[in-house]
Amino acid sequence: MTHPLLSVQNIHKAFGSLEVLKGISLDADPGDVIAILGSSGSGKSTFLRCINLLEKPTEGSITLANEELHCARGHDGQLHPKDKDQLKRFRTKMGMVFQSFNLWPHMSVLENVIEGPIQVENVAKKEAIERAEHYLEEVGVFERKDYMPSQLSGGQQQRVAIARALAMEPDLILFDEPTSALDPELVGEVLKVMQQLAEEHRTMLVVTHEMGFAREVSSRVVFLEKGTVEADGTPNEVFDQPEQYSTRWAEFISRARD
Amino acid sequence: MDVLLEYLPSVMGGIWTTIGLALASVMLAIFFGIVGASFKLSRNLTLRTIGGIYTTVIRGIPDLVLMLILFFGGQIMINELGDATGLWGYVEISPFLAGAFTIGFIFGAYMTETFRGAYLAIPAGQIEAAQALGIVPASYLRRIIWPQIIPHALPNFTNNWLVLMKTTALVSIIGLQDLVYNANQAGRASREPFLFLMVSFVVFLGLTILSDIGLRRLSRRYSSR
Repeated sequence: MTHPLLSVQNIHKAFGSLEVLKGISLDADPGDVIAILGSSGSGKSTFLRCINLLEKPTEGSITLANEELHCARGHDGQLHPKDKDQLKRFRTKMGMVFQSFNLWPHMSVLENVIEGPIQVENVAKKEAIERAEHYLEEVGVFERKDYMPSQLSGGQQQRVAIARALAMEPDLILFDEPTSALDPELVGEVLKVMQQLAEEHRTMLVVTHEMGFAREVSSRVVFLEKGTVEADGTPNEVFDQPEQYSTRWAEFISRARD
Repeated sequence: MDVLLEYLPSVMGGIWTTIGLALASVMLAIFFGIVGASFKLSRNLTLRTIGGIYTTVIRGIPDLVLMLILFFGGQIMINELGDATGLWGYVEISPFLAGAFTIGFIFGAYMTETFRGAYLAIPAGQIEAAQALGIVPASYLRRIIWPQIIPHALPNFTNNWLVLMKTTALVSIIGLQDLVYNANQAGRASREPFLFLMVSFVVFLGLTILSDIGLRRLSRRYSSR
């Protein structure tokens, strides 16, 4: 029996008495591109952030490459990592791309990309630069490597952020609404890079509003609504016969088509 | 003019004391400010409370009152402690050290707020991006947060520094022979108090203008990035 690359089981998350995630499970095999859809407030970003513990779940387990993340419940009722080194290892294997890019403004593009490999993996600077240049080339912003982030367009900044995640050579990448903060004309260049990564069979979990991406690029679509999974299947399955999954999913795509 | 020349060496000596005191105080203030800010931003309730008491009490009491309390009170306390434990005999605190410590401690409270505000101005995503890569706190504090605190803190820091420099004049009341003290003495001896007050006036204005220019330049360098 083979194990999935990532197995997230029964994730619950409550902010005070408000339960935003009510037991979400998800397995990802190598090469899976999973689009996570849902209206705002459905908990999809929170779910993604629970996977690398940027958000502490109140319940659930996270297993990466057959190794479970050790957690213990704190006084606040949330799960905290027991072993900081293990969490660090998990995080280096899971890249993350944020909605608002979160590039470090005081560092150049190249410095942003080499920071992780140097600080976390103790890679020699020369090697880190070679690696960074390779990935900057791949996302098409190599010629901007000495610019400061503020001198780049949003689309370029997001592509640098993708290169920053790639430079850690992660097993999978989490995308948290990567195109939601972009001007409409810049969305395409970022989606194109993501499509290219999908074609290289990288494992990706993508929280998004881009229905086109979900339908054309992803290998699986998960629809979250009010903290539970309401639809889960291949794009063909869930888009062609939405009624079979849930009425809210059917409504969601008919609204998206308008 | 002759009077001025006659007393100038002693007044000039005071300038160095004033500058030295201001620099020593600001170093201490930065230290107390960083400690205070990390207390106030801590997750630990006890540390947060201590930080809160520090800034509330210090910022609410006149500098002069604090100076007298810390200098004379501190002296008495140290000597009573020496008496009680028998570990040391009579100690006289140097006015320079007492002054620097007191001013540093007072302005540490203002620096606490400066650093805390600058930290809070950094978007949470900046830290999350580092955490998501697996970068440890010791490393991202130094490489990601601190360099971003500086430009946010500089305007407020400049303000604190200018006020701090003027506050050094207060140490003349605890007997430190700084610029104000020496100028005052020269004014009495020569019966030209106004002339020597003007010397203090000009020197202080010169120092504050110089540092304002320097810090503004630094601020521009950071904001141009």
